Amino acid sequence: MTTPPPTSTRLPTPTRPTTPRRARLADRPAAIALAFLAPALVALLVLRLLPAGIAFVSSLNHTSLLTGETYFVGLRNYATLFTDPTFLQSVRVTLLFSVIVNPLQIAAALALAVLFTRRFAGVRFLRVLVILPIAVPPAVSAAVWSVAYRPDGLLNSLLTVLGLPPQPFLTSPGQALWSLIVLLSWIGVGYWMMFLIAGLQDIPLSLYEAAAIDGASAWRRFWHVTLPLLRRPLAFVLVADTVANFLVFAPVQMLTNGGPEGSTNVTMYDIFTRAYTVGDLSLAQAEVMLLVLLVLAVVVVQFRLLRGKD
Amino acid sequence: MSRRLYTLLATVIGLAFALPLLWALSSSLRGGSEIFQHISRLSWETLVPASPTLANYGALATGAFGRAILNSLLVALVTVVAGLLISAAAAFGLSALRFRGQGALFAIVVLSFLIPFDAIAIPLATLFRDWDLTNTYAGLILPGLGHGLAIFLLRQFFLAIPGDLVEAARIDGLGWFGVFGRIYLPLSRPALVSAGLTLFIFQWQSYVWPLLIGTGTDHQLGPIALANMRGQFTIDYGQLFAGSIVLTVIPLLIILRFQRHFTQSIATTGLK
Repeated sequence: MTTPPPTSTRLPTPTRPTTPRRARLADRPAAIALAFLAPALVALLVLRLLPAGIAFVSSLNHTSLLTGETYFVGLRNYATLFTDPTFLQSVRVTLLFSVIVNPLQIAAALALAVLFTRRFAGVRFLRVLVILPIAVPPAVSAAVWSVAYRPDGLLNSLLTVLGLPPQPFLTSPGQALWSLIVLLSWIGVGYWMMFLIAGLQDIPLSLYEAAAIDGASAWRRFWHVTLPLLRRPLAFVLVADTVANFLVFAPVQMLTNGGPEGSTNVTMYDIFTRAYTVGDLSLAQAEVMLLVLLVLAVVVVQFRLLRGKD
Repeated sequence: MSRRLYTLLATVIGLAFALPLLWALSSSLRGGSEIFQHISRLSWETLVPASPTLANYGALATGAFGRAILNSLLVALVTVVAGLLISAAAAFGLSALRFRGQGALFAIVVLSFLIPFDAIAIPLATLFRDWDLTNTYAGLILPGLGHGLAIFLLRQFFLAIPGDLVEAARIDGLGWFGVFGRIYLPLSRPALVSAGLTLFIFQWQSYVWPLLIGTGTDHQLGPIALANMRGQFTIDYGQLFAGSIVLTVIPLLIILRFQRHFTQSIATTGLK
Protein backbone atom coordinates (compact mmCIF):
# COMPACT_ATOMS: atom_id res chain seq x y z
CA MET A 1 0.00 0.00 0.00
CA THR A 2 1.17 3.49 -0.67
CA THR A 3 1.28 6.11 2.00
CA PRO A 4 0.12 9.41 0.63
CA PRO A 5 2.81 12.04 0.88
CA PRO A 6 2.13 14.69 3.54
CA THR A 7 1.41 17.40 1.02
CA SER A 8 -1.46 15.53 -0.61
CA THR A 9 -4.18 17.67 0.95
CA ARG A 10 -2.42 20.93 0.38
CA LEU A 11 -2.08 20.61 -3.37
CA PRO A 12 -5.35 19.99 -5.16
CA THR A 13 -5.09 18.74 -8.71
CA PRO A 14 -5.16 21.54 -11.22
CA THR A 15 -7.63 19.70 -13.47
CA ARG A 16 -10.69 18.48 -11.59
CA PRO A 17 -10.46 17.41 -7.96
CA THR A 18 -13.40 15.00 -7.84
CA THR A 19 -12.80 12.35 -5.18
CA PRO A 20 -9.94 12.05 -2.69
CA ARG A 21 -8.78 8.99 -4.62
CA ARG A 22 -8.52 10.86 -7.86
CA ALA A 23 -6.77 13.65 -6.07
CA ARG A 24 -4.15 11.23 -4.80
CA LEU A 25 -3.74 9.80 -8.30
CA ALA A 26 -2.69 13.09 -9.77
CA ASP A 27 -0.76 13.98 -6.67
CA ARG A 28 2.21 16.25 -7.46
CA PRO A 29 2.85 14.55 -10.77
CA ALA A 30 5.65 16.94 -11.62
CA ALA A 31 7.73 15.99 -8.59
CA ILE A 32 7.24 12.26 -9.18
CA ALA A 33 7.97 12.55 -12.89
CA LEU A 34 11.09 14.58 -12.16
CA ALA A 35 12.33 11.88 -9.82
CA PHE A 36 12.02 9.35 -12.65
CA LEU A 37 13.52 11.76 -15.17
CA ALA A 38 16.40 13.04 -13.05
CA PRO A 39 19.13 10.49 -13.93
CA ALA A 40 18.48 10.77 -17.66
CA LEU A 41 18.23 14.56 -17.58
CA VAL A 42 21.52 14.83 -15.71
CA ALA A 43 23.13 12.44 -18.21
CA LEU A 44 21.78 14.31 -21.23
CA LEU A 45 22.68 17.73 -19.85
CA VAL A 46 26.19 16.77 -18.78
CA LEU A 47 27.09 14.41 -21.61
CA ARG A 48 25.38 16.06 -24.59
CA LEU A 49 24.36 19.67 -24.01
CA LEU A 50 27.19 20.78 -21.70
CA PRO A 51 29.91 19.77 -24.21
CA ALA A 52 28.05 21.67 -26.93
CA GLY A 53 27.96 24.69 -24.60
CA ILE A 54 31.66 24.29 -23.82
CA ALA A 55 32.49 24.11 -27.50
CA PHE A 56 30.57 27.35 -27.98
CA VAL A 57 32.27 29.19 -25.11
CA SER A 58 35.78 28.06 -25.95
CA SER A 59 35.22 28.83 -29.63
CA LEU A 60 34.88 32.46 -28.51
CA ASN A 61 38.16 32.35 -26.59
CA HIS A 62 41.78 32.08 -27.47
CA THR A 63 44.49 30.44 -25.37
CA SER A 64 47.94 31.87 -25.92
CA LEU A 65 50.54 29.18 -26.56
CA LEU A 66 53.22 31.37 -24.99
CA THR A 67 51.60 32.46 -21.72
CA GLY A 68 48.79 29.88 -21.42
CA GLU A 69 46.42 32.79 -20.83
CA THR A 70 42.87 32.52 -22.13
CA TYR A 71 41.05 35.59 -23.29
CA PHE A 72 37.83 36.45 -25.10
CA VAL A 73 38.16 37.05 -28.82
CA GLY A 74 34.54 37.02 -29.99
CA LEU A 75 34.08 35.54 -33.43
CA ARG A 76 37.73 35.87 -34.41
CA ASN A 77 38.28 32.08 -34.36
CA TYR A 78 35.52 31.69 -36.91
CA ALA A 79 37.05 34.42 -39.05
CA THR A 80 40.44 32.69 -38.80
CA LEU A 81 38.87 29.40 -39.88
CA PHE A 82 37.42 30.94 -43.00
CA THR A 83 40.84 32.17 -44.10
CA ASP A 84 42.55 28.87 -43.27
CA PRO A 85 43.37 26.97 -46.49
CA THR A 86 43.18 23.55 -44.77
CA PHE A 87 39.72 24.33 -43.44
CA LEU A 88 38.50 25.67 -46.79
CA GLN A 89 39.88 22.57 -48.51
CA SER A 90 38.07 20.44 -45.92
CA VAL A 91 34.79 22.29 -46.60
CA ARG A 92 35.20 21.71 -50.33
CA VAL A 93 35.94 18.00 -49.82
CA THR A 94 33.00 17.58 -47.42
CA LEU A 95 30.60 19.30 -49.82
CA LEU A 96 31.81 17.29 -52.80
CA PHE A 97 31.60 14.11 -50.74
CA SER A 98 28.06 14.91 -49.51
CA VAL A 99 26.79 15.87 -52.95
CA ILE A 100 27.95 12.52 -54.34
CA VAL A 101 27.46 10.08 -51.49
CA ASN A 102 23.96 11.02 -50.32
CA PRO A 103 22.03 10.87 -53.62
CA LEU A 104 24.01 7.75 -54.54
CA GLN A 105 23.20 5.89 -51.32
CA ILE A 106 19.54 6.92 -51.28
CA ALA A 107 18.97 6.02 -54.93
CA ALA A 108 20.68 2.66 -54.38
CA ALA A 109 18.72 2.03 -51.16
CA LEU A 110 15.44 2.89 -52.90
CA ALA A 111 16.18 0.68 -55.91
CA LEU A 112 17.15 -2.22 -53.65
CA ALA A 113 14.09 -1.67 -51.43
CA VAL A 114 11.83 -1.90 -54.49
CA LEU A 115 13.66 -5.02 -55.69
CA PHE A 116 13.60 -6.74 -52.31
CA THR A 117 9.89 -6.15 -51.72
CA ARG A 118 9.09 -8.11 -54.91
CA ARG A 119 8.27 -11.79 -54.56
CA PHE A 120 10.83 -14.18 -56.03
CA ALA A 121 12.82 -17.26 -55.05
CA GLY A 122 15.39 -16.58 -52.32
CA VAL A 123 14.32 -12.99 -51.63
CA ARG A 124 14.53 -13.29 -47.84
CA PHE A 125 17.98 -14.82 -47.80
CA LEU A 126 19.39 -12.44 -50.41
CA ARG A 127 17.96 -9.46 -48.52
CA VAL A 128 19.85 -10.58 -45.40
CA LEU A 129 23.09 -10.58 -47.42
CA VAL A 130 22.56 -6.91 -48.30
CA ILE A 131 21.72 -6.03 -44.69
CA LEU A 132 24.68 -8.00 -43.29
CA PRO A 133 27.17 -5.07 -43.33
CA ILE A 134 25.10 -3.13 -40.75
CA ALA A 135 26.47 -5.49 -38.08
CA VAL A 136 30.01 -4.54 -39.08
CA PRO A 137 31.56 -1.79 -36.91
CA PRO A 138 33.07 1.07 -38.97
CA ALA A 139 36.59 0.22 -37.79
CA VAL A 140 36.14 -3.34 -39.06
CA SER A 141 34.88 -2.31 -42.48
CA ALA A 142 37.80 0.07 -42.75
CA ALA A 143 40.23 -2.72 -41.82
CA VAL A 144 38.77 -5.23 -44.27
CA TRP A 145 38.52 -2.75 -47.15
CA SER A 146 42.02 -1.42 -46.52
CA VAL A 147 43.33 -4.86 -47.44
CA ALA A 148 40.92 -5.16 -50.35
CA TYR A 149 42.16 -1.80 -51.73
CA ARG A 150 45.84 -2.77 -51.53
CA PRO A 151 47.68 -2.81 -54.89
CA ASP A 152 47.74 -6.62 -54.63
CA GLY A 153 44.33 -6.79 -52.92
CA LEU A 154 40.98 -8.33 -53.72
CA LEU A 155 39.65 -5.49 -55.88
CA ASN A 156 42.62 -5.32 -58.21
CA SER A 157 42.54 -9.07 -58.71
CA LEU A 158 38.84 -8.78 -59.55
CA LEU A 159 39.69 -6.05 -62.08
CA THR A 160 42.37 -8.29 -63.59
CA VAL A 161 39.84 -11.10 -64.00
CA LEU A 162 37.55 -8.65 -65.80
CA GLY A 163 40.43 -7.65 -68.06
CA LEU A 164 40.82 -4.16 -66.58
CA PRO A 165 44.06 -2.48 -65.52
CA PRO A 166 44.83 -2.36 -61.76
CA GLN A 167 43.96 0.89 -59.99
CA PRO A 168 45.80 2.83 -57.25
CA PHE A 169 42.58 3.42 -55.19
CA LEU A 170 43.55 4.94 -51.81
CA THR A 171 46.91 6.30 -52.93
CA SER A 172 45.49 8.41 -55.75
CA PRO A 173 44.10 11.91 -55.04
CA GLY A 174 41.54 11.31 -57.78
CA GLN A 175 40.31 7.94 -56.48
CA ALA A 176 40.65 8.00 -52.69
CA LEU A 177 37.36 9.82 -52.03
CA TRP A 178 35.52 7.50 -54.41
CA SER A 179 37.08 4.50 -52.68
CA LEU A 180 35.72 5.78 -49.37
CA ILE A 181 32.29 6.35 -50.95
CA VAL A 182 32.17 2.73 -52.14
CA LEU A 183 33.18 1.48 -48.68
CA LEU A 184 30.61 3.69 -46.92
CA SER A 185 27.86 2.66 -49.33
CA TRP A 186 28.63 -0.98 -48.65
CA ILE A 187 27.96 -0.22 -44.96
CA GLY A 188 25.06 2.19 -45.39
CA VAL A 189 22.87 1.16 -48.31
CA GLY A 190 21.47 -1.96 -46.62
CA TYR A 191 20.68 0.02 -43.48
CA TRP A 192 18.77 2.79 -45.25
CA MET A 193 17.08 0.16 -47.42
CA MET A 194 15.49 -1.31 -44.29
CA PHE A 195 13.71 1.98 -43.54
CA LEU A 196 12.43 2.21 -47.10
CA ILE A 197 11.28 -1.42 -47.08
CA ALA A 198 9.29 -0.68 -43.92
CA GLY A 199 7.73 2.28 -45.76
CA LEU A 200 6.99 0.29 -48.91
CA GLN A 201 5.25 -2.40 -46.91
CA ASP A 202 2.87 0.22 -45.52
CA ILE A 203 1.54 1.13 -48.98
CA PRO A 204 -1.78 -0.65 -49.56
CA LEU A 205 -1.67 -3.11 -52.46
CA SER A 206 -5.15 -1.96 -53.57
CA LEU A 207 -3.62 1.33 -54.77
CA TYR A 208 -1.35 -0.53 -57.17
CA GLU A 209 -4.23 -2.69 -58.35
CA ALA A 210 -6.36 0.39 -59.02
CA ALA A 211 -3.48 2.02 -60.91
CA ALA A 212 -2.93 -1.14 -62.95
CA ILE A 213 -6.63 -1.27 -63.85
CA ASP A 214 -6.36 2.35 -65.01
CA GLY A 215 -3.60 1.15 -67.31
CA ALA A 216 -0.69 2.88 -65.56
CA SER A 217 2.71 1.53 -66.58
CA ALA A 218 5.13 0.19 -63.95
CA TRP A 219 7.15 3.40 -64.18
CA ARG A 220 4.05 5.62 -63.74
CA ARG A 221 2.92 3.49 -60.80
CA PHE A 222 6.32 4.00 -59.18
CA TRP A 223 6.25 7.75 -59.88
CA HIS A 224 2.62 8.44 -58.90
CA VAL A 225 1.91 5.84 -56.21
CA THR A 226 5.15 4.66 -54.61
CA LEU A 227 7.13 7.89 -54.42
CA PRO A 228 4.40 10.15 -52.96
CA LEU A 229 3.45 7.56 -50.35
CA LEU A 230 7.08 6.98 -49.47
CA ARG A 231 7.61 10.67 -48.72
CA ARG A 232 7.95 10.37 -44.95
CA PRO A 233 10.44 7.49 -44.78
CA LEU A 234 12.34 9.01 -47.71
CA ALA A 235 12.59 12.37 -45.96
CA PHE A 236 13.81 10.63 -42.81
CA VAL A 237 16.42 8.60 -44.68
CA LEU A 238 17.55 11.67 -46.60
CA VAL A 239 18.21 13.60 -43.41
CA ALA A 240 19.58 10.76 -41.28
CA ASP A 241 21.91 9.68 -44.08
CA THR A 242 23.12 13.24 -44.68
CA VAL A 243 23.85 13.67 -40.97
CA ALA A 244 25.60 10.28 -40.77
CA ASN A 245 27.80 11.19 -43.72
CA PHE A 246 28.81 14.50 -42.14
CA LEU A 247 30.21 12.44 -39.26
CA VAL A 248 32.35 9.97 -41.19
CA PHE A 249 35.62 9.48 -39.34
CA ALA A 250 36.95 5.95 -38.73
CA PRO A 251 37.57 4.99 -42.39
CA VAL A 252 39.31 8.30 -43.09
CA GLN A 253 41.51 8.06 -40.03
CA MET A 254 42.38 4.42 -40.70
CA LEU A 255 42.75 4.42 -44.49
CA THR A 256 43.82 7.80 -45.84
CA ASN A 257 44.56 10.19 -42.95
CA GLY A 258 42.78 12.85 -44.96
CA GLY A 259 45.10 12.42 -47.93
CA PRO A 260 46.42 12.04 -50.49
CA GLU A 261 46.85 15.80 -50.94
CA GLY A 262 43.94 16.52 -48.61
CA SER A 263 41.51 14.86 -51.03
CA THR A 264 39.68 13.00 -48.22
CA ASN A 265 40.05 15.57 -45.44
CA VAL A 266 36.38 15.58 -44.39
CA THR A 267 35.12 17.81 -41.55
CA MET A 268 35.33 15.29 -38.69
CA TYR A 269 38.89 14.41 -39.57
CA ASP A 270 39.83 18.06 -39.94
CA ILE A 271 38.43 18.76 -36.46
CA PHE A 272 40.32 15.82 -35.02
CA THR A 273 43.69 16.83 -36.50
CA ARG A 274 43.11 20.48 -35.58
CA ALA A 275 42.48 19.52 -31.95
CA TYR A 276 45.15 16.87 -31.45
CA THR A 277 47.81 17.14 -34.13
CA VAL A 278 47.86 20.90 -34.68
CA GLY A 279 46.81 21.41 -31.06
CA ASP A 280 44.62 24.48 -31.58
CA LEU A 281 41.67 23.52 -29.44
CA SER A 282 39.80 26.83 -29.75
CA LEU A 283 39.78 26.64 -33.52
CA ALA A 284 38.74 22.98 -33.35
CA GLN A 285 35.86 23.93 -31.02
CA ALA A 286 34.75 26.62 -33.48
CA GLU A 287 34.69 23.95 -36.16
CA VAL A 288 32.72 21.63 -33.84
CA MET A 289 30.17 24.44 -33.44
CA LEU A 290 29.90 24.86 -37.21
CA LEU A 291 29.33 21.11 -37.58
CA VAL A 292 26.66 21.04 -34.85
CA LEU A 293 24.88 24.02 -36.42
CA LEU A 294 25.06 22.40 -39.85
CA VAL A 295 23.54 19.18 -38.51
CA LEU A 296 20.77 21.06 -36.70
CA ALA A 297 20.04 23.01 -39.90
CA VAL A 298 19.69 19.76 -41.84
CA VAL A 299 17.28 18.44 -39.20
CA VAL A 300 15.18 21.63 -39.37
CA VAL A 301 14.89 21.02 -43.10
CA GLN A 302 13.61 17.54 -42.30
CA PHE A 303 10.83 18.90 -40.12
CA ARG A 304 9.89 21.31 -42.92
CA LEU A 305 9.80 18.40 -45.39
CA LEU A 306 7.64 16.31 -43.09
CA ARG A 307 5.23 19.12 -42.22
CA GLY A 308 4.79 19.87 -45.94
CA LYS A 309 1.58 18.48 -47.38
CA ASP A 310 -0.23 16.17 -45.01
CA MET B 1 10.06 -15.28 -66.30
CA SER B 2 10.64 -11.86 -64.78
CA ARG B 3 10.77 -13.50 -61.35
CA ARG B 4 13.82 -15.45 -62.45
CA LEU B 5 15.38 -12.23 -63.63
CA TYR B 6 14.76 -10.73 -60.19
CA THR B 7 16.39 -13.72 -58.52
CA LEU B 8 19.40 -13.44 -60.80
CA LEU B 9 19.76 -9.69 -60.19
CA ALA B 10 19.26 -10.04 -56.44
CA THR B 11 21.79 -12.89 -56.29
CA VAL B 12 24.48 -10.80 -57.98
CA ILE B 13 23.76 -7.87 -55.63
CA GLY B 14 23.57 -10.06 -52.53
CA LEU B 15 26.88 -11.74 -53.36
CA ALA B 16 28.55 -8.39 -53.99
CA PHE B 17 27.50 -7.24 -50.51
CA ALA B 18 28.53 -10.51 -48.87
CA LEU B 19 31.85 -10.85 -50.73
CA PRO B 20 34.05 -8.68 -48.46
CA LEU B 21 32.86 -10.56 -45.37
CA LEU B 22 33.20 -14.00 -46.98
CA TRP B 23 36.70 -13.05 -48.07
CA ALA B 24 37.54 -11.80 -44.56
CA LEU B 25 36.20 -15.05 -43.10
CA SER B 26 38.16 -17.34 -45.42
CA SER B 27 41.31 -15.25 -45.03
CA SER B 28 41.01 -15.43 -41.26
CA LEU B 29 41.26 -19.22 -41.57
CA ARG B 30 44.58 -19.13 -43.44
CA GLY B 31 48.19 -18.87 -42.32
CA GLY B 32 49.52 -15.30 -42.58
CA SER B 33 51.61 -15.64 -45.76
CA GLU B 34 48.95 -17.57 -47.66
CA ILE B 35 46.44 -14.72 -47.85
CA PHE B 36 47.92 -12.77 -50.74
CA GLN B 37 48.94 -15.86 -52.67
CA HIS B 38 45.32 -16.72 -53.17
CA ILE B 39 44.22 -13.24 -54.15
CA SER B 40 46.64 -12.67 -56.99
CA ARG B 41 45.07 -15.47 -58.99
CA LEU B 42 41.37 -15.30 -58.28
CA SER B 43 39.76 -18.73 -58.02
CA TRP B 44 37.37 -20.63 -55.80
CA GLU B 45 40.30 -20.99 -53.41
CA THR B 46 40.10 -17.25 -52.74
CA LEU B 47 36.91 -17.87 -50.77
CA VAL B 48 37.48 -21.45 -49.55
CA PRO B 49 40.76 -22.10 -47.74
CA ALA B 50 42.29 -25.46 -48.68
CA SER B 51 43.57 -26.23 -45.18
CA PRO B 52 41.63 -24.08 -42.72
CA THR B 53 43.24 -23.33 -39.38
CA LEU B 54 42.07 -21.54 -36.27
CA ALA B 55 45.61 -20.43 -35.45
CA ASN B 56 44.81 -16.76 -36.06
CA TYR B 57 41.95 -16.86 -33.58
CA GLY B 58 44.11 -18.62 -31.02
CA ALA B 59 46.83 -16.00 -31.38
CA LEU B 60 44.24 -13.24 -30.99
CA ALA B 61 42.79 -14.64 -27.78
CA THR B 62 46.14 -14.53 -26.00
CA GLY B 63 47.15 -11.08 -27.23
CA ALA B 64 45.97 -7.56 -26.48
CA PHE B 65 42.93 -8.11 -28.68
CA GLY B 66 41.44 -10.75 -26.37
CA ARG B 67 41.52 -8.26 -23.52
CA ALA B 68 40.00 -5.60 -25.81
CA ILE B 69 37.05 -7.85 -26.72
CA LEU B 70 36.35 -8.49 -23.04
CA ASN B 71 36.51 -4.74 -22.43
CA SER B 72 34.08 -4.12 -25.29
CA LEU B 73 31.67 -6.72 -23.94
CA LEU B 74 31.84 -5.30 -20.43
CA VAL B 75 31.30 -1.72 -21.60
CA ALA B 76 28.42 -2.70 -23.89
CA LEU B 77 26.65 -4.86 -21.31
CA VAL B 78 26.89 -2.33 -18.48
CA THR B 79 25.66 0.35 -20.89
CA VAL B 80 22.68 -1.76 -21.91
CA VAL B 81 21.58 -2.56 -18.34
CA ALA B 82 22.19 0.86 -16.77
CA GLY B 83 21.19 2.74 -19.90
CA LEU B 84 17.89 0.86 -20.17
CA LEU B 85 17.04 1.58 -16.53
CA ILE B 86 17.79 5.29 -16.89
CA SER B 87 16.06 5.61 -20.25
CA ALA B 88 12.99 3.63 -19.24
CA ALA B 89 12.59 5.67 -16.06
CA ALA B 90 12.83 8.87 -18.10
CA ALA B 91 10.36 7.59 -20.70
CA PHE B 92 8.00 6.72 -17.84
CA GLY B 93 8.27 10.24 -16.46
CA LEU B 94 7.49 11.58 -19.91
CA SER B 95 4.49 9.36 -20.63
CA ALA B 96 2.73 7.94 -17.56
CA LEU B 97 2.43 11.26 -15.80
CA ARG B 98 1.09 14.56 -17.03
CA PHE B 99 2.54 17.78 -15.72
CA ARG B 100 3.39 21.30 -16.73
CA GLY B 101 6.77 21.66 -18.38
CA GLN B 102 6.69 18.13 -19.75
CA GLY B 103 6.92 19.46 -23.28
CA ALA B 104 10.06 21.42 -22.42
CA LEU B 105 11.73 18.37 -20.87
CA PHE B 106 10.82 16.27 -23.89
CA ALA B 107 12.35 18.98 -26.07
CA ILE B 108 15.64 18.57 -24.16
CA VAL B 109 15.55 14.84 -24.93
CA VAL B 110 14.91 15.45 -28.61
CA LEU B 111 17.55 18.18 -28.86
CA SER B 112 20.09 15.94 -27.18
CA PHE B 113 19.73 13.27 -29.81
CA LEU B 114 19.67 15.71 -32.68
CA ILE B 115 23.19 16.74 -31.66
CA PRO B 116 25.22 13.77 -32.88
CA PHE B 117 27.49 12.38 -30.21
CA ASP B 118 30.60 12.16 -32.36
CA ALA B 119 30.36 15.88 -33.14
CA ILE B 120 30.65 16.84 -29.46
CA ALA B 121 33.09 14.06 -28.53
CA ILE B 122 36.09 16.41 -28.50
CA PRO B 123 34.65 19.00 -26.07
CA LEU B 124 33.35 16.14 -23.90
CA ALA B 125 36.79 14.54 -23.90
CA THR B 126 38.35 17.75 -22.57
CA LEU B 127 35.75 17.71 -19.77
CA PHE B 128 36.44 14.06 -18.96
CA ARG B 129 40.16 14.78 -18.86
CA ASP B 130 39.52 17.44 -16.21
CA TRP B 131 37.46 14.92 -14.24
CA ASP B 132 40.19 12.24 -14.43
CA LEU B 133 37.98 9.88 -16.37
CA THR B 134 40.51 9.05 -19.09
CA ASN B 135 41.48 5.39 -19.11
CA THR B 136 38.63 4.29 -16.86
CA TYR B 137 35.65 2.05 -17.55
CA ALA B 138 33.40 4.82 -16.27
CA GLY B 139 34.84 7.14 -18.90
CA LEU B 140 34.02 4.62 -21.62
CA ILE B 141 30.55 3.74 -20.35
CA LEU B 142 29.08 7.11 -19.31
CA PRO B 143 28.47 8.61 -22.78
CA GLY B 144 26.33 5.60 -23.67
CA LEU B 145 23.98 6.29 -20.77
CA GLY B 146 22.53 9.60 -21.91
CA HIS B 147 20.87 8.27 -25.01
CA GLY B 148 17.99 10.40 -26.25
CA LEU B 149 16.95 7.98 -28.97
CA ALA B 150 16.49 5.12 -26.49
CA ILE B 151 14.26 7.38 -24.36
CA PHE B 152 12.35 8.41 -27.45
CA LEU B 153 11.74 4.80 -28.57
CA LEU B 154 10.56 3.75 -25.10
CA ARG B 155 8.32 6.80 -24.70
CA GLN B 156 6.56 6.03 -28.00
CA PHE B 157 5.79 2.56 -26.69
CA PHE B 158 4.80 3.70 -23.19
CA LEU B 159 2.30 6.19 -24.61
CA ALA B 160 0.28 3.26 -25.96
CA ILE B 161 -0.16 1.69 -22.50
CA PRO B 162 -3.76 2.44 -21.48
CA GLY B 163 -4.16 5.01 -18.69
CA ASP B 164 -7.03 2.97 -17.21
CA LEU B 165 -4.57 0.25 -16.31
CA VAL B 166 -2.44 2.70 -14.37
CA GLU B 167 -5.45 4.25 -12.70
CA ALA B 168 -6.76 0.85 -11.60
CA ALA B 169 -3.39 -0.12 -10.19
CA ARG B 170 -3.07 3.19 -8.37
CA ILE B 171 -6.52 2.75 -6.84
CA ASP B 172 -5.43 -0.71 -5.70
CA GLY B 173 -2.64 1.04 -3.87
CA LEU B 174 0.33 0.49 -6.16
CA GLY B 175 2.96 3.24 -5.86
CA TRP B 176 4.43 4.95 -8.91
CA PHE B 177 7.55 2.84 -8.60
CA GLY B 178 5.34 -0.25 -8.61
CA VAL B 179 3.47 0.98 -11.68
CA PHE B 180 6.82 1.42 -13.42
CA GLY B 181 8.34 -1.88 -12.34
CA ARG B 182 5.30 -4.14 -12.39
CA ILE B 183 3.19 -2.76 -15.22
CA TYR B 184 5.28 -0.70 -17.64
CA LEU B 185 8.48 -2.74 -17.73
CA PRO B 186 6.87 -6.20 -18.15
CA LEU B 187 4.51 -4.87 -20.84
CA SER B 188 7.30 -3.21 -22.79
CA ARG B 189 9.60 -6.11 -23.57
CA PRO B 190 9.69 -5.40 -27.34
CA ALA B 191 10.51 -1.73 -26.82
CA LEU B 192 13.11 -2.57 -24.17
CA VAL B 193 14.76 -5.00 -26.57
CA SER B 194 14.93 -2.47 -29.39
CA ALA B 195 16.19 0.29 -27.10
CA GLY B 196 18.72 -2.17 -25.65
CA LEU B 197 19.91 -3.04 -29.17
CA THR B 198 20.32 0.65 -29.93
CA LEU B 199 22.46 1.09 -26.82
CA PHE B 200 24.48 -2.06 -27.51
CA ILE B 201 25.26 -1.12 -31.11
CA PHE B 202 26.12 2.44 -30.10
CA GLN B 203 28.81 1.17 -27.74
CA TRP B 204 29.99 -1.78 -29.80
CA GLN B 205 30.58 0.33 -32.89
CA SER B 206 31.93 3.45 -31.21
CA TYR B 207 35.34 4.47 -32.44
CA VAL B 208 35.88 8.20 -31.99
CA TRP B 209 35.13 8.19 -28.27
CA PRO B 210 37.31 5.23 -27.16
CA LEU B 211 40.07 6.68 -29.34
CA LEU B 212 39.90 9.91 -27.32
CA ILE B 213 39.36 8.46 -23.86
CA GLY B 214 40.62 4.85 -23.55
CA THR B 215 44.22 5.29 -24.55
CA GLY B 216 45.93 2.65 -22.36
CA THR B 217 46.05 -1.05 -23.32
CA ASP B 218 44.10 -2.01 -20.19
CA HIS B 219 41.05 -0.07 -21.31
CA GLN B 220 41.30 -0.52 -25.02
CA LEU B 221 38.12 -1.51 -26.86
CA GLY B 222 37.92 -3.99 -29.74
CA PRO B 223 37.71 -1.53 -32.67
CA ILE B 224 40.71 0.44 -31.38
CA ALA B 225 42.76 -2.74 -30.87
CA LEU B 226 41.90 -3.72 -34.45
CA ALA B 227 42.92 -0.32 -35.80
CA ASN B 228 46.19 -0.53 -33.86
CA MET B 229 47.01 -3.86 -35.51
CA ARG B 230 47.22 -1.93 -38.77
CA GLY B 231 49.52 0.66 -37.27
CA GLN B 232 52.17 -1.89 -36.40
CA PHE B 233 55.35 -2.18 -38.40
CA THR B 234 54.42 -5.54 -39.89
CA ILE B 235 50.72 -6.24 -40.18
CA ASP B 236 49.56 -9.78 -39.41
CA TYR B 237 46.73 -9.95 -41.93
CA GLY B 238 45.47 -13.30 -40.69
CA GLN B 239 44.91 -11.85 -37.22
CA LEU B 240 43.49 -8.64 -38.66
CA PHE B 241 40.82 -10.64 -40.47
CA ALA B 242 40.17 -12.90 -37.50
CA GLY B 243 39.67 -9.84 -35.31
CA SER B 244 37.32 -8.36 -37.89
CA ILE B 245 35.24 -11.52 -37.89
CA VAL B 246 35.03 -11.64 -34.07
CA LEU B 247 33.97 -7.99 -33.90
CA THR B 248 31.30 -8.63 -36.54
CA VAL B 249 29.93 -12.00 -35.45
CA ILE B 250 29.07 -10.91 -31.90
CA PRO B 251 26.67 -8.06 -32.87
CA LEU B 252 25.45 -10.10 -35.85
CA LEU B 253 24.29 -12.96 -33.61
CA ILE B 254 22.53 -10.50 -31.31
CA ILE B 255 20.83 -8.71 -34.21
CA LEU B 256 19.72 -11.99 -35.78
CA ARG B 257 18.39 -13.22 -32.46
CA PHE B 258 16.27 -10.08 -32.07
CA GLN B 259 15.72 -9.41 -35.76
CA ARG B 260 11.99 -8.82 -35.39
CA HIS B 261 12.50 -6.14 -32.75
CA PHE B 262 15.26 -4.60 -34.76
CA THR B 263 13.07 -4.13 -37.83
CA GLN B 264 10.30 -2.84 -35.59
CA SER B 265 12.50 -0.17 -34.08
CA ILE B 266 13.55 0.80 -37.60
CA ALA B 267 9.91 1.16 -38.56
CA THR B 268 9.13 3.40 -35.56
CA THR B 269 12.20 5.61 -35.98
CA GLY B 270 11.65 6.07 -39.66
CA LEU B 271 7.91 6.62 -39.76
CA LYS B 272 7.22 8.17 -36.32
